[in-house]
Amino acid sequence: MAALAEEQTEVAVKLEPEGPPTLLPPQAGDGAGEGSGGTTNNGPNGGGGNVAASSSTGGDGGTPKPTVAVSAAAPAGAAPVPAAAPDAGAPHDRQTLLAVLQFLRQSKLREAEEALRREAGLLEEAVAGSGAPGEVDSAGAEVTSALLSRVTASAPGPAAPDPPGTGASGATVVSGSASGPAAPGKVGSVAVEDQPDVSAVLSAYNQQGDPTMYEEYYSGLKHFIECSLDCHRAELSQLFYPLFVHMYLELVYNQHENEAKSFFEKFHGDQECYYQDDLRVLSSLTKKEHMKGNETMLDFRTSKFVLRISRDSYQLLKRHLQEKQNNQIWNIVQEHLYIDIFDGMPRSKQQIDAMVGSLAGEAKREANKSKVFFGLLKEPEIEVPLDDEDEEGENEEGKPKKKKPKKDSIGSKSKKQDPNAPPQNRIPLPELKDSDKLDKIMNMKETTKRVRLGPDCLPSICFYTFLNAYQGLTAVDVTDDSSLIAGGFADSTVRVWSVTPKKLRSVKQASEDGTVRLWSLQTFTCLVGYKGHNYPVWDTQFSPYGYYFVSGGHDRVARLWATDHYQPLRIFAGHLADVNCTRFHPNSNYVATGSADRTVRLWDVLNGNCVRIFTGHKGPIHSLTFSPNGRFLATGATDGRVLLWDIGHGLMVGELKGHTDTVCSLRFSRDGEILASGSMDNTVRLWDAIKAFEDLETDDFTTATGHINLPENSQELLLGTYMTKSTPVVHLHFTRRNLVLAAGAYSPQ
Amino acid sequence: MESGKTASPKSMPKDAQMMAQILKDMGITEYEPRVINQMLEFAFRYVTTILDDAKIYSSHAKKATVDADDVRLAIQCRADQSFTSPPPRDFLLDIARQRNQTPLPLIKPYSGPRLPPDRYCLTAPNY
Repeated sequence: MAALAEEQTEVAVKLEPEGPPTLLPPQAGDGAGEGSGGTTNNGPNGGGGNVAASSSTGGDGGTPKPTVAVSAAAPAGAAPVPAAAPDAGAPHDRQTLLAVLQFLRQSKLREAEEALRREAGLLEEAVAGSGAPGEVDSAGAEVTSALLSRVTASAPGPAAPDPPGTGASGATVVSGSASGPAAPGKVGSVAVEDQPDVSAVLSAYNQQGDPTMYEEYYSGLKHFIECSLDCHRAELSQLFYPLFVHMYLELVYNQHENEAKSFFEKFHGDQECYYQDDLRVLSSLTKKEHMKGNETMLDFRTSKFVLRISRDSYQLLKRHLQEKQNNQIWNIVQEHLYIDIFDGMPRSKQQIDAMVGSLAGEAKREANKSKVFFGLLKEPEIEVPLDDEDEEGENEEGKPKKKKPKKDSIGSKSKKQDPNAPPQNRIPLPELKDSDKLDKIMNMKETTKRVRLGPDCLPSICFYTFLNAYQGLTAVDVTDDSSLIAGGFADSTVRVWSVTPKKLRSVKQASEDGTVRLWSLQTFTCLVGYKGHNYPVWDTQFSPYGYYFVSGGHDRVARLWATDHYQPLRIFAGHLADVNCTRFHPNSNYVATGSADRTVRLWDVLNGNCVRIFTGHKGPIHSLTFSPNGRFLATGATDGRVLLWDIGHGLMVGELKGHTDTVCSLRFSRDGEILASGSMDNTVRLWDAIKAFEDLETDDFTTATGHINLPENSQELLLGTYMTKSTPVVHLHFTRRNLVLAAGAYSPQ
Repeated sequence: MESGKTASPKSMPKDAQMMAQILKDMGITEYEPRVINQMLEFAFRYVTTILDDAKIYSSHAKKATVDADDVRLAIQCRADQSFTSPPPRDFLLDIARQRNQTPLPLIKPYSGPRLPPDRYCLTAPNY
């Protein structure tokens, strides 16, 4: 009792000064410490909330109080504690109690407040139990203290550009207390934006009975948006989908099953067509318990959906929502949406459609602002004994490169350090062994015989069909010198075929049992199993310089390994759904990952940060490839489009439409002139990459606001379509002489 | 194999019809006909396991009948055992942050095939 009272008085004391609000680790019990620690690491979600807390200045009315201890419940709730679900009546009483306390505090009736608190303290302590995390009652305790601190805390500070909202989290807090085993994310999400006032608590009180009003709110907003000016309508329509999903999830979470169902029935048809898959998943989530196992939906609920809206449209929206009496939608907007405002012309529907589609909305502008070293590393100088041309033999030292290696070092226009290239020793790379040097020499010799491709000189395509695979072929890879083809099958075997008689090397295999295996082709045995993902691994790739490899899997992270470490060196976490595809940048300093949450992220190997987020695909991404000069990235997804991205600026620069089914393989030619794409619609298409990347006008305006104007030139860029005989094209490879090898498994209909 | 040519609805038992409807609702249009049987078997096994567990829990709590709470508890316990889901996002971000703080280790030159210590490899003889 004493301890609890002390905590409360501590809260009271801290509230007085308008000093710099701090996070409250010591406050609500041990759980809180890890909790707030935990949420500070929460990336944009928790980070946004905490920023709000720390930036609070004497805002509206009450003294500024630090927030966040609510997250106390987060780690404690982590263990699925069937919380001592107190009777439904108790939370209401507590709520009113806290509201009254709040009112007394605001009216400066200190003694009355203390008296009430002392008396009520008994009630709270009875529920609080021992307060140690992990015990059955502790969930109740933390929730109580969560409620207390939530009510007493205020975050008048803006969360990013939004001005503070009101009582949004009321409903969710009530649900947090009323519902037993709250998943950590839920109560954590409450902390994000909290509101203090009595009115908030009372409105929360009201909200519980208000699920029937959700349909009205949504219809009201819909009506408003449809009646707004054309130029604003496209931007404001972006709100529909996230609002719809969040309102539905809130109804489900608060266990208003019937209202949720009717809400869904009424409005799911209005959403954009590319969200249909998500809506189908949503329609199967009708109860709160269903949500628990679905990590993707939990993440969606706790992370903020990012929208990019121009300032004018935003003002319009804000004015409309705030003038209404019951601004529930405004609360929800405040809580679940992050509106990235930009100054400028509102975007057209077409521009918006190109960029939206991912599970978390678009990317914030500052997510794509950090510097990326997309240049290539300098090729090491190698002695090339050339018998036929002897004048080259002496140019080992210093800058001037030979003509032949110059063809290899694509992208370095000057012989000096490319400003866009990373320093040579930014990440440790293995030295070249003698055998590697010999390989490089062979490489260079072959390069001289390379065919220059172009629109008038298309490559020949050699297709390897796997017969009798009965849809068991899961992956194919071809060695760089095109001598071996390896096929992975659903019966857990890997078979290697040699195309020409040549030396064998090691190969890697990702598998559904969660391990990545390194095989030696010399002994045909598995050398190491790298355990780390506990869930299926969908893709792996060796770095261009060997030694490192990256793997991505169902657990939504990609991991960077080195062959001589049994644990991953880097963990790239941030995606909301499985990582389907992982690729190294040619300079080995960055890793691109494509995921089922429809975003592509670029990660820095040095420190594991996500330096770019690319949104725009409307389906899970299945293929990625970097251009040989390192500046561009091409991605393909189940929506059949191939999107081209400029890594340096972080913008979409092209869209190639043509495929009718998932694009499951992409590859640039060796010099970057042609992009080949293979798809499940049994075709290989060749696109003119040079033309797609020329005339890029990325002026400051574009990069500042992110407006893109994609030319509709897919038809001109398409150089050829090659049909296979009902064989989806699983893998593409350009040989060193620019011959295309493609592979797939024959699947008769 | 041909895409799902199910038997005509009239001749299918009701359970199978329901399963086909579920598949349709989830957007799965092409499937082999045996999938329905497999799903039904799975559903039967799962439900009986849960109900058995629920009976045990309710008798442990000295209740006369099995009620919803028992079933809920049974589902929860089974879910933790068999259908584990990947760790939550904040946990992943946390461990990622920890792991990414250590700098990349330098590479020793000339060390032959670069493999982890022998304990972690599968290269030991197994006889």
